[in-house]
Amino acid sequence: MLKGTVRITDRTDAEVAESLKKRDLNLAVSEARRVCELLGRDPTIVELTIFNTMWSEHCSYKSSRRILGEMLPTKAANVVMGPGEDAGVVRFAKAADGDWHCLVIAHESHNHPSQLLPVEGAATGIGGIVRDVYCMGAEVVGVLDPLRFGDPHGENAGQTISIARGVVDGIAQYGNALGVPNLGGDVVFDEGYDDNCLVNVVAVGTVMESKILRSRVPEEAKNRPYKIILVGKPTDDSGFGGAAFASEDLSSEEDANRGAVQVPDPFLKRVLSVANRKVLEQASERGFSIGFKDLGAGGISCVTSELADAGGFGVRLDLDQVNVAAGHFPAAVIACSETQERYAMAVPEEFVGDVLKIYNEEFDLPHIYHGAGAFVVGDVTVEKKYTIVSQGEIVCEAPINVITTGISYDRAKKSRRLLFKEPAGQDDRSLKEDLLKVISSVNIASKGHLFRHYDSEVQGRAVLRPGEADAGVIAPVPGIAAGIALSVDGNPRYGTIDPYQGGALAVIEAARNVAAVGAEPWTITDCLNYGNPEIEEVFWEFYEGVRGVGDACRGIGLISHEGDPLPVVSGNVSFYNQGESGKAIPPSPIIACAGVVKDYSRSRSIGFKESGNTVYYVGEPLDELGGSEYYKVIYGELGANVPEADFVRERNQIRAVIEMHDLGWVRACHDTGQGGMITALAEMLVAARTGSSVGLTIDIDEFSNTGLSAEKILFSETGGFVVELSAGIEREVLALCARVRVKLHKIGTLNSRSNLEAVSGDKRLAIWETEELRDAYINGCRGIFGIEKGE
Amino acid sequence: MATSFKGKVAIIQFPGVNCENETADAIRSVGLDADLFRWNEDPGLLEESLAVVLPGGFSYQDRIRAGVVAAKDTVMDALSDLASAGHPLLGICNGAQVLVESGFIPGIHWERVDLALAPNIMEDREGYYCNWVYLRNEGSSCRWTRLFLEEEVIPVPIAHAEGRFVTRDEDLLEQMIKNGQIVLRYCTDRGDIDSAFPVNPNGSMENIAGICNREGNVLAMMPHPERASWLRQVPEDICGIWGKKRFQAAGDFSRMEDEGPGRRFFASLLEKGPVSASSGCSGQAKEGGR
Repeated sequence: MLKGTVRITDRTDAEVAESLKKRDLNLAVSEARRVCELLGRDPTIVELTIFNTMWSEHCSYKSSRRILGEMLPTKAANVVMGPGEDAGVVRFAKAADGDWHCLVIAHESHNHPSQLLPVEGAATGIGGIVRDVYCMGAEVVGVLDPLRFGDPHGENAGQTISIARGVVDGIAQYGNALGVPNLGGDVVFDEGYDDNCLVNVVAVGTVMESKILRSRVPEEAKNRPYKIILVGKPTDDSGFGGAAFASEDLSSEEDANRGAVQVPDPFLKRVLSVANRKVLEQASERGFSIGFKDLGAGGISCVTSELADAGGFGVRLDLDQVNVAAGHFPAAVIACSETQERYAMAVPEEFVGDVLKIYNEEFDLPHIYHGAGAFVVGDVTVEKKYTIVSQGEIVCEAPINVITTGISYDRAKKSRRLLFKEPAGQDDRSLKEDLLKVISSVNIASKGHLFRHYDSEVQGRAVLRPGEADAGVIAPVPGIAAGIALSVDGNPRYGTIDPYQGGALAVIEAARNVAAVGAEPWTITDCLNYGNPEIEEVFWEFYEGVRGVGDACRGIGLISHEGDPLPVVSGNVSFYNQGESGKAIPPSPIIACAGVVKDYSRSRSIGFKESGNTVYYVGEPLDELGGSEYYKVIYGELGANVPEADFVRERNQIRAVIEMHDLGWVRACHDTGQGGMITALAEMLVAARTGSSVGLTIDIDEFSNTGLSAEKILFSETGGFVVELSAGIEREVLALCARVRVKLHKIGTLNSRSNLEAVSGDKRLAIWETEELRDAYINGCRGIFGIEKGE
Repeated sequence: MATSFKGKVAIIQFPGVNCENETADAIRSVGLDADLFRWNEDPGLLEESLAVVLPGGFSYQDRIRAGVVAAKDTVMDALSDLASAGHPLLGICNGAQVLVESGFIPGIHWERVDLALAPNIMEDREGYYCNWVYLRNEGSSCRWTRLFLEEEVIPVPIAHAEGRFVTRDEDLLEQMIKNGQIVLRYCTDRGDIDSAFPVNPNGSMENIAGICNREGNVLAMMPHPERASWLRQVPEDICGIWGKKRFQAAGDFSRMEDEGPGRRFFASLLEKGPVSASSGCSGQAKEGGR
């Protein structure tokens, strides 16, 4: 019997349950028995802890894997690597030497840790996601952060605001110190997140295709000895059980879980990333193949087993060689703790000395950070066995695929039948007041104050920054015109009414945002945030959401590759998002879309530019205000008529807008999602350059063919685009829209009156001075993130 | 293995700095060569360099206080000798904090710490602040600003939490003014000095954004010229001549790749010979607009 064996086989279910609980393990009794079956004996405590992590929802995708595999398209002409790696990779521009510039993207959630410890939770979220991109051999060129908080004016206002501020602080502290620019994100406030905030994080990097690193022990290890090196922060017990914790309900035992939140250190990460680059360069120069992977969930055991198994090898680890922080830690903690800022690599023995020298002498890790360094902790073995030795004794020994194979469940689903109805409506509404209320609502109003906590300028690549346009744009490679546009999206209210549309519209909206700066939607990542999958209605919401995401990806597709889907190359599933009350969050599929713009110089901010230019509406408003900002703010209701995804229409509109950019016509462009057309116009006016005098009159009679009331025309959330185009090209614009079969309405010509006016024929409906719109828009989030003058 | 810095600009890579690569790119964009100098390499290598830049970031994690640990690093001894001998030395953001903490700036009493870069004071917010600001060149004898016209307005971004130049010694401020050491001040897009946020983005005394030593070869500036070295980096809503250039370049990739407002800090190194003493500090003594 191995040291530390836990008796299961000859124990009753009740005894096993008790024994698991005593050891803080979340494995089900049936799962513990399955471990015994796989091993052919009772497991050691180290083994049981490893399975506890590897079989957590977070690591194993045990509830979601099958559905994701069936529903989501992952292959397309541009894909180099899809899901399964630490990050997805797509090509985006061909280099002169025939090699390809590639975009690397990863997306994760850090919801539970951020609810408990907002600053640390959000910071380690950034820390974890950038590692996933670094370990593909890429340079990280940006992060984005989709955030969902509770109602800042509701019952939980105090806690909500304090969490929101903490999360922003954590993101800023980590990203700013690491030197990775924040390129965007979105913030949605909804009472559905009162007990459970969502902190999603997206990281984006660039790498040449020929330099992509694999998270696997290379083939070459068959021919010569390979060693496993662990580098970074000394291992401690922080984040012990983190993955398992992320897969639990948030309970009132919150305090007991705080130890499961890791401790972030962007300083060490920065130094490591500089040193890593040198190691990778040397390996490449000297022709050594290496395997490289970051330590995330499950710590050392997870990373080493996956690294070796992916290459078809085994590993023999000696835990006594691991650099640990002061104190004594049991073998299970060293093997599984989720201490931040660590990487593992498999390198040929003859390269080991140089690698250790770079980390430990040149970059002097042991002196600049107490206890940090690079150490050889094990050997790659040709025999496909996973062995861990601690103090001279074997504490884990199993065929390596037993450790990594995972587990899968078929969850039951049941559709929920909720009745939604449209608000009754009121005849005596004041359009003037209504728009001011909508643009000052927390979900529409300026987040400028928040963005300025983040360094968006570092690395010098930013062309359009957060808040300047629907998507952030960078010029990723010096000297080439191709730009990368990035956006995140997901409206919880759509998903509440209809989880399928919630998924589809998140993809559509994210894709529209990148199209609004002239970029072709090129790939997406999805972070699927839901409640407890063991509840049938919740699992149905999840199923419907994924179905919507998949359909939208196939429906929109790659514009330049007819027949290819918009590929999903990376993603994450986060279940058990519910608070003490037991109420699940609204279905929250959050999509990040990366687009490629042929020439970044054509990407413009949303601000109106010059009087004399013509403003068009691409698309047509329908009676689709279900889940809209207007219903919520004005009637306090959800409504029922959620926008219905029409993939052909969306694809055509996106194509039309990209072509307008390519032709050099676009002076400003903004998509009309949340808040509808009039909100988009107001935002474009407010964003006009200080000192420039532009104004616009919109005649709703132009939309009389829709048969809708003024409020529905102006606030409908049916997708469309407002575009400001150079003057004198009306005929060409009409021809283009006819050719790609999109509806087009001319709104008017920009005047120089610094106001926005809505009329119906001769009758004025409302007029707003730009200054009053600006005040409403800028002050809306006062009290949450504060207010910024002069914006 | 050690790199030779002969004829190159050396960028000091303390652990935790994070702007070294784009700073090198900006220097290269003016036709000069630049290379990174890892903090624990042989400081003797720096003697042959053309100039030395301390880039932005969080050297040594801002432990104790931003810049203070790096200021005690042994490489600073070598930089002290070089700077005293007239070698050009530029500190950007965290680099400026290092220069203040090491007493190179203001440097009237060499290596005596007479100034501080204190936490920002802003309206309705605290901590880190990232935004574009306008600087006014105060027309001094500084080695790094000599390509700018007197009172020229230069848009550049800032990104810091501790950028407020302060001193308790009022005589010192007067001396610095008299010496023409205050070379860059935050201003409106028209070049007016307004002490209110956000024109003065951090509450710095006298709107100071950059200070050089008396001799003009060492400059500490909080804004980031390397992030304003290409026209594409300039936001669309910037006012003035640079805003106009940016507006006109939209849709034209090659023009967007032209120089931005911050590049001349680096291009100043191309100018040979000492700075003309006659350029003086006339902009400095003006009371107007304060």
